[in-house]
Amino acid sequence: MTEMEDAIKVNNLVTHYGDRVILKSISFAVPRGQTTVILGGSGCGKSTLLKHLIGLLRPTSGQILINNGNIAAMNEGELDEIRKKMGVLFQGAALLNSMTLADNVALPLREHTKLEDSTIQIMVRMKLDLVGLSGFEHFFPSQLSGGMKKRAGLARAMALDPEFLFFDEPSAGLDPVTAAGLDKLILKLRDVFKMTIVVVTHELPSVFMIADYVIMLDLGDVVFAGTLDELRISEHPRVRMFLERRPETEVYSPEDYFRFIAGD
Amino acid sequence: MTVTLKEMNGKKIMALAGEIDMSASPLLRKELMALVKKKTDPLLIDFENVSYIDSSGIATFVEGLKGMMAFGGKLKLAGMPSGVKEIFSFSKLDRVFEIYGSIDDAINS
Ligand SMILES: Nc1ncnc2c1ncn2[C@@H]1O[C@H](COP(=O)(O)OP(=O)(O)OP(=O)(O)O)[C@@H](O)[C@H]1O
Ligand SMILES: [Mg+2]
Repeated sequence: MTEMEDAIKVNNLVTHYGDRVILKSISFAVPRGQTTVILGGSGCGKSTLLKHLIGLLRPTSGQILINNGNIAAMNEGELDEIRKKMGVLFQGAALLNSMTLADNVALPLREHTKLEDSTIQIMVRMKLDLVGLSGFEHFFPSQLSGGMKKRAGLARAMALDPEFLFFDEPSAGLDPVTAAGLDKLILKLRDVFKMTIVVVTHELPSVFMIADYVIMLDLGDVVFAGTLDELRISEHPRVRMFLERRPETEVYSPEDYFRFIAGD
Repeated sequence: MTVTLKEMNGKKIMALAGEIDMSASPLLRKELMALVKKKTDPLLIDFENVSYIDSSGIATFVEGLKGMMAFGGKLKLAGMPSGVKEIFSFSKLDRVFEIYGSIDDAINS
């Protein structure tokens, strides 16, 4: 690997939902042109973090530097500009059901570019081919399987040839073969288009296949940040638990559990 | 991106420089399709000073090639830096386009 340059830097990020603190002053960097995986237990704030990285949510305090610009301090117009460089695939693929796949993929191109429609049509077919959906241009989302919808969502996320791709659990609900296919595609995008890719995932095989760099969250803190090799040898108990697939140790004492279910 | 039209040994060359991205492709299309419409044959494209091409640029050349094929004209792409070539190869289009190592190779072809 060549020298590491940071595409994203997060400094002392604090976020709340109402009074509840979700991320407690976290700092980390995302290397450019690599795949960074975000790990952590359910509810620890991974999706919340991702929404901050794409400027969908504003932090309570702290900086989020994308290509050295602090998106936490940008106005909506500036954010729109930077968002054109970002492709996003969230937990539901979020396709518009009233439109064909071709129109779904064409939408960002029609909104943000002055390209002729004849050019856009060719680009749409290129993107659908890339995700293995050649020939499905005229299908509506309701006519697709879950995995196909996910891939169609990816085709749309890539419409504007983004510099960054953000995925929230891309392989959730997919069979292992389809999930592995998606992993291969992620690596292809990294290698050919030099994209900076950030993926939230729980899938251990996927982590080992795609990750160059890993960030692990726990209880609102970063407990690990490093390369895949560093992850493998980490002694951190949360990391060991994840890698060895050990269940959560008991959170409650029997007395607390009794009080909890008894409703006092 | 800048577009320069030249002629060498009686062959028309469109020399491109800079980044061929979504904001540049409409201009590229205009210039390219004008030459296609005039049935310029062969039409050589010099990529030597192109630093980047995105999917809108590739799609524009697909349109150009379609237009050339319609009248049996030859579109020859030459002098691609490796990063640009890689993007053409990735989309399997390196086997559809006539690609030459240098503009001289394309002129002498
Ligand atoms: N819109 C919201 N309003 C209030 N609280 C929220 C909201 N979204 C998430 N939360 C809370 O914030 C915490 C972090 O949620 P988040 O969705 O970021 O977790 P996650 O790590 O992505 O979990 P999972 O792995 O289950 O997707 C959770 O405790 C959740 O209850
Ligand atoms: Mg989540």
